[in-house]
Amino acid sequence: MNRPLCIAHLYPDLLNLYADKGNILTLKRRLEWRGLEAQVTLVTSSEEARPGDYDLVLLGGGSDREQEIVSRTLRRSRDEWKAAVEDGLPLLAVCGGYQLLGEYYQLPDGTKVPGLELLDMVTVAGSPRLIGNVAIESDECGTIVGFENHGGRTTHHHAPLGKVISGHGNNGTDGHEGVRYKNVFGTYIHGPLLPKNPALADFILQTALDYAGIDVKLEPLDDELEKAARTAFQVRRMNLSEVAAQTP
Amino acid sequence: MFGVWIGKLVLLLLSMLRKRATSLPGKIALKVSPRLLRKLGTQLERCIVVTGTNGKTTTARLLAAAMKQEDPIIHNTEGANLPQGLATALLRHTSWFGRLRRKTALFEIDEATLPLVAETLPIKVAVVTNVFRDQLDRYGELDTTVEKLLAGLRKTDAVAILNADDPLARHIGLSYGKTVLYFGMSKEHLKQEHRDQMRDGAFCMQCGHELQYDGFYYGQLGDYHCPNCDFFRPVPDFVGHFQESRLEVTQGQLPPVSFQLPVRGIFNVYNALSAIAAARVCGLDASVIQQGLRQYQPPLGRMQAFPTRPHTVLNLIKNPTGCDSVLQAIHSEPGDKVLCIAINDLAADGKDVSWLWDADFELITEDDSVVKCVTTGLRAEDMALRLKYGGYPESNLSYVPELEAGLDHALELARASGDVPVYVLSTYTALYPLADLLKRRAHNNEPAAMYRPSVS
Ligand SMILES: [Zn+2]
Repeated sequence: MNRPLCIAHLYPDLLNLYADKGNILTLKRRLEWRGLEAQVTLVTSSEEARPGDYDLVLLGGGSDREQEIVSRTLRRSRDEWKAAVEDGLPLLAVCGGYQLLGEYYQLPDGTKVPGLELLDMVTVAGSPRLIGNVAIESDECGTIVGFENHGGRTTHHHAPLGKVISGHGNNGTDGHEGVRYKNVFGTYIHGPLLPKNPALADFILQTALDYAGIDVKLEPLDDELEKAARTAFQVRRMNLSEVAAQTP
Repeated sequence: MFGVWIGKLVLLLLSMLRKRATSLPGKIALKVSPRLLRKLGTQLERCIVVTGTNGKTTTARLLAAAMKQEDPIIHNTEGANLPQGLATALLRHTSWFGRLRRKTALFEIDEATLPLVAETLPIKVAVVTNVFRDQLDRYGELDTTVEKLLAGLRKTDAVAILNADDPLARHIGLSYGKTVLYFGMSKEHLKQEHRDQMRDGAFCMQCGHELQYDGFYYGQLGDYHCPNCDFFRPVPDFVGHFQESRLEVTQGQLPPVSFQLPVRGIFNVYNALSAIAAARVCGLDASVIQQGLRQYQPPLGRMQAFPTRPHTVLNLIKNPTGCDSVLQAIHSEPGDKVLCIAINDLAADGKDVSWLWDADFELITEDDSVVKCVTTGLRAEDMALRLKYGGYPESNLSYVPELEAGLDHALELARASGDVPVYVLSTYTALYPLADLLKRRAHNNEPAAMYRPSVS
């Protein structure tokens, strides 16, 4: 029997705007369905998060005010986080959590809320908010679909998570969405992200299992319902043809 | 003047065609004369508004039932709470010469619409039911909703009637700067356990510190205080105490008055309490309010029963908190049941369906009495996926995107399971089509042909 995979959900009390619960649930279930175990730790804002304790970390989205609190809390152990990320800690950051990975988030009044400075990335608040259904093409996981809703425009010099097929992406101009660096996955896509993108969910899980030293190769699951949801989304919401939508 | 004519013509035309006209006449009239709301609004003597995230429609209708006992009023029904809905309600009572025939209006108003129309109406009383998370793609984030409500209120001289148990409403009350009265539940109803993780108001909006609760009513509503500053739950001016179907309201030092509740569930007790508070502020006697509540008809899609075979109960769901209230109500109903959940993602529903993952569907997936679940609507598959990951057995789960086929499939499964009731949950744009279908099924009172293609 393998040891359970330790997943940390950071600050669900603060960052819970975009159904991050769905992402955690997906990771947990997809392990369970393969006879593996996940141990999910909810780290609340009153606790200190130690990156060394986890095999996979999820950082979700919150409002500006709440993000500021998270930034303040996390920056106290910033060096520890930087070292862990360089060492290959799998980290999934969505929306507000994604913005926190960078150098700063510049508010409309010009104030810069400092980020964790884990990546060479900045975000500037803009108008209007970039809202809507989104689909991107990722080299590692095929088409990723979901919903985006962000005022911030993010630019960085790393690889993106994918190229925008439809929607806005990081800033609405450069055609890139999200970030991929070492084992960091950053994205504006919620919807939520993982249930409808099982290939991405499994890719992240495999990365985390490898990082944890758990010797398991994930077998495919019966994703009939997931595929149906993806196809329906691409046909009804993206106006992509049924044939194109069926490719993984 | 031209706008009034056009609007009234459209109203007339639609009524001749027997079509529902809650928004279109106002929409067209406002296009022709954008100042129509102001022109008609200034003829009103007073306007009472009900806004907030959940319970607007029920609260406004409860209040309307009481106010109608005294005087005829103008009232926008069935959630037509955007400017075009308000304009349509006004046009109904406007003469061809542009004169308003009634002097009091009671409007349910969308939170984002309030700042747009606040200056055009003589708003004397404004009820904010609560501030929960709702339709993020329309308002951006939650803090924006608070800002919109404040911006709207500040354009009025209204007496604001706010929920003392809601920290976000308290923040609005502290920032408003004009007269504020609070309603809240008696502390006897506080509960210690807190199942859902809806923590929208869990942080002090004055200083950012985490709030402490001495107990919860539901969602973020409870007895809160900030350990870091002087932010706390105010003593309500109207205290509610309920038992089964009676609500006792204590106003200051006055003796408590008991009301028969025409609605069920704690969320509806809040709606009734805020409506009674507003009615008192409007100067209505307790006896008049009691009489009004007796004549109240529950609105569409609030535990609305249809005599179909087997029988059906229709519920509107549109955000996590409202959805949880409905799920709790269904969960507490005894006996086996079938669920039919219709999720659309059109503009009026909110295009972002991620809220489905914040709602506590585990109440259903962990409930053995829910024998079958059918999902339908434009996002039928997303809803099915939510239930699958929530732990609902895939073998009892089916998705049929087309509404009529989905509903009929649920009815068929319910008949096969021994005529167990079907609870239909629906987002806004699927609600009317489903209500129409249910009315027809109730009328025929016999099994419908399966999978007949819909003509709508
Ligand atoms: Zn405080």
